[in-house]
Amino acid sequence: MERRNQTDTITAAAKTDIKVSMFATCIGDAVYPRIAEAMARLLARVGVRLEFPQGQTCCGQPAFNSGYWEEARRSAATLLEAFADSDFVIGPSGSCIGMIHHYPKLFEHDPVRLAMAEELKAKSYEFTQFLVQVLGITDLGAAFPHKVTYHPSCHGSRLLGIQEEPMALLQNVKGLELVPLPFAEDCCGFGGTFAVKMADISGAMVTEKADHVLETSAEVLTGLDMACLMNIAGQLRYRRQPVRVMHLAELLYEGVSGA
Amino acid sequence: MRTVKERAELALNNEFLRKAVRFTTERLRDGKRKASEDHGNWEEWRERGRQIRLHTIAHLDYYLNRFAEQARANGAHVHFAETGAEAVKIALEIAAHKAARSVVKSKSMVSEELHINRALEEAGIEAVETDLGEYIIQLAGEAPSHIIIPAIHKNRHQIAELLSREAGEELPPETSVLAGFVRRKLREKFLSADIGMTGCNFAIAETGSIVLFENEGNARMVSTVPKTQITFMGMERIIPSWSDLEVMATLLPRSATGQKLTVYMSGITGPRRTADGDGPEEMHIIILDNGRSEQLGDPEFQELLNCIRCGACLNACPVYRHIGGHAYGGTYSGPIGAVLTPALNKNVAEWDDIASASSLCGACYEACPVKIPLHDMLVYLRRRKVEQGYGNKLETAGMKGFAAVTASSKRFHRALKAGRVVQRLVVRNGEIPARIGPLKGWNKYRVAPSLANQPFRERWDTLQHELRASAALTVTAQAAQERMKAALNRRAAKVEGREAADRTQRSAGDHAGPAFVRKEGQTYDG
Amino acid sequence: MMDNEYNAWLKKKEAEARQKQEQFMNRIAGKLKRPRQQEAPAHPFRGAPTYWRELEWGLEERLARFEDNLTAAGGHVARLPDLKAAKEFITVKAQELGARYIVRQDDRLLAELGLDEALAAVGAKVSVWNGHRDEAWIARAAEADFGIVAADSAVAYTGSLVVQSAAEKGRSVSLLPTALFAIVPVERLKTRLGEVLETFDAAGREALPASIHFISGPSRSADIENDLTIGVHGPGIVFALLVG
Repeated sequence: MERRNQTDTITAAAKTDIKVSMFATCIGDAVYPRIAEAMARLLARVGVRLEFPQGQTCCGQPAFNSGYWEEARRSAATLLEAFADSDFVIGPSGSCIGMIHHYPKLFEHDPVRLAMAEELKAKSYEFTQFLVQVLGITDLGAAFPHKVTYHPSCHGSRLLGIQEEPMALLQNVKGLELVPLPFAEDCCGFGGTFAVKMADISGAMVTEKADHVLETSAEVLTGLDMACLMNIAGQLRYRRQPVRVMHLAELLYEGVSGA
Repeated sequence: MRTVKERAELALNNEFLRKAVRFTTERLRDGKRKASEDHGNWEEWRERGRQIRLHTIAHLDYYLNRFAEQARANGAHVHFAETGAEAVKIALEIAAHKAARSVVKSKSMVSEELHINRALEEAGIEAVETDLGEYIIQLAGEAPSHIIIPAIHKNRHQIAELLSREAGEELPPETSVLAGFVRRKLREKFLSADIGMTGCNFAIAETGSIVLFENEGNARMVSTVPKTQITFMGMERIIPSWSDLEVMATLLPRSATGQKLTVYMSGITGPRRTADGDGPEEMHIIILDNGRSEQLGDPEFQELLNCIRCGACLNACPVYRHIGGHAYGGTYSGPIGAVLTPALNKNVAEWDDIASASSLCGACYEACPVKIPLHDMLVYLRRRKVEQGYGNKLETAGMKGFAAVTASSKRFHRALKAGRVVQRLVVRNGEIPARIGPLKGWNKYRVAPSLANQPFRERWDTLQHELRASAALTVTAQAAQERMKAALNRRAAKVEGREAADRTQRSAGDHAGPAFVRKEGQTYDG
Repeated sequence: MMDNEYNAWLKKKEAEARQKQEQFMNRIAGKLKRPRQQEAPAHPFRGAPTYWRELEWGLEERLARFEDNLTAAGGHVARLPDLKAAKEFITVKAQELGARYIVRQDDRLLAELGLDEALAAVGAKVSVWNGHRDEAWIARAAEADFGIVAADSAVAYTGSLVVQSAAEKGRSVSLLPTALFAIVPVERLKTRLGEVLETFDAAGREALPASIHFISGPSRSADIENDLTIGVHGPGIVFALLVG
């Protein structure tokens, strides 16, 4: 496995076989494979064939956020290796891509891995970022005649600046009625191990978030981050609320395929 | 109340507190949003404020020294205190020499840090807080629960009760009546106090002046009427010039309460001039370290000293909104408190768990007028605790397991397979409602999802073939190829041009290395 | 004598403080891993952004914005053609509000008004603050219903009055009375806060007064259940008279 450097990146621009890799994320892999699948199918439809380097496991966020950086490096290393040859790495999660942005800091004392980290950061994209910023696509020809509300996950919207992309995509979906979520920018309370360690505070936050979702009378809640959606969906289920919770990739795929 | 969880639980069960905190923080947050939009170019001003503070801190030995020299030249007495205890000692010595029997104080977070009131009371000196909110909580014997609105957790009936006791008569729970009583009562105190104590919002190095921001007028009272003034100042509360004050005066009030300017902004340059008819005859400035200098030279925490104590992070924080200020267990609350309290204390063993009470949502960073990456700092604090061996034992074991499993994709896959088998015991309708182990907290408020029957990595083979078989339109594929090539070219250009690969507007980025030094050289202003 | 003892103690404290000061600065330099910074460093981001420093409103806009801002904060603004009109305005208010005691700065502008006689005529006693004369000035201000000042300048962008202290201009005059009347000759009204602040930098330490106050409305607090209350410690009534 070669280590990429500047020359490689420049040469890549002249390549014809651009390597676009799927970053499934650990939650995507283990709990919500249909989301990663939806993303893969959507990208195939717009002419991008993904490949999936099996060596990936988890971005290391749970350990990193809790201060266990040694442990985080062990997971993160699998991504550095798995995506070493990729030109683009696409993941259906703002927080996981956001975690990759922390890799230069995480590996700051390891010169070899630091270089790989800088490179991986430069070539990683959250799904809607890739669709809109790289491919220039905001209309997939999807139809989804339902009332939908959108939760902007904290890492994606605040730290990666992903705000216009999902809006552009949603606005072009035929028949979709987008209702604004009150206090949308407030955190859903997941925060990784925070949800387990500070369960009551987290519980208060997700309860409030669910209250706001229910206030909209939306049929569907959508978003860009599986962890947030899992969190809010869990509370909605607990309250026996029938609101459907879908990742934007799932929503768009259903909108184009009718599946 | 020892742990954060215990204090938080108390707060979460206090309906009035939660309503009051929610109402107040929403009002202040709204105010800030309107005021910053109204002013315009807010991001530019935030960056300006950040640069001014970074610059001052990076040259703190020059500016602090200059301030001290100029303040002395103005006729003020300047003292330096390494620790809180030293600062208290100096203040008590001054009071003793002045045979002071009473002190009136205006709002000062530093003075809370010092617990100066307790020290004064123990020395037999009456210390009266004169800010309405601070006065109320002083009567209640409590600590402030918000940097800007200290008595946010008290309802009007509680306040009426406290003030009635002080008044010796029954006061109705009407704001104007209660405020009227406080005005009269504190007037007496202002006019008879021996010493006035203030904090310091900003100290202007060039002229040795201190600047106070307030809405009530009590800081002006405290620095006008008594014959002796003692001003407490954190060593980092400096800006170079009055011109720089324009930036701070624009950022601070709008961030704190949404005001264009606080009702009073006062610049005090030494004690009264000989022929002045009011103002203190003697002015003492006590400059405090108490752990602040510890942050210097630390690339992860030096920016913490940028803080201008506006409270915007408290108003933005969803955790603060649910648990209020007392749950933080220290002088400073909210996100800034969660970082400052441990950071000022070198002894990691004494750190409590407050840095864990955050979902790292970044709202604090977004709200901070001087762009302190508090959300990153919380992670650094967590890491330092773990590195020094003070991590939670259960969590440490869990993380080691996590690392072992995720270090190899084979092991990860095996774990998924094993998990699917184990979960059959607890899965109901594709969900896990059981409250056992780590799921106990989760399932108190939610239903946990189950592991998928087939993880993505097992589906991939089939999916891959399906996608290859499906005719991807040549035209579409061509267009996609072109766009991606263009992106690769842009990336290559960036690498060549040595620009930071930063695709986002507001990416927190990471401060690998001495970031503050790097930014120094950047020209920002057009 | 107590005084000498005290002075000796102050000198001792100063010596201690100077020593500590050196320690502080050395520690800072040490932590920043470089030698002590003895010269003023270049400060490329000094003050407001350039685009902001170019902001300048015409007189009419300054007047209008100042009025909007001070009024929004609960203050009152009156536009008057000349000082005579200002005198009449204040006299009428004194009568309306039943002012018995008034304190004013010993300012030439205010003296020109012939204010004291006019106010005496409506039953108010005027004290003219001047620190050169021996008097319980703070008590005079504390008992006063009105405090009258001539603002040194004003800022339209924030709706602020600026008053500086001097022997003839006690801080208490704008702080202790129940109502504050500030006469602002319109040529003293600036657009931005920075325009006023810059002058302090230009003047230099020695020329600065003991205190400078930016006043942007009546005293207020929302500390009791977020319920706004006016006139907590400072004047609850503020009138800015824009003259000219």
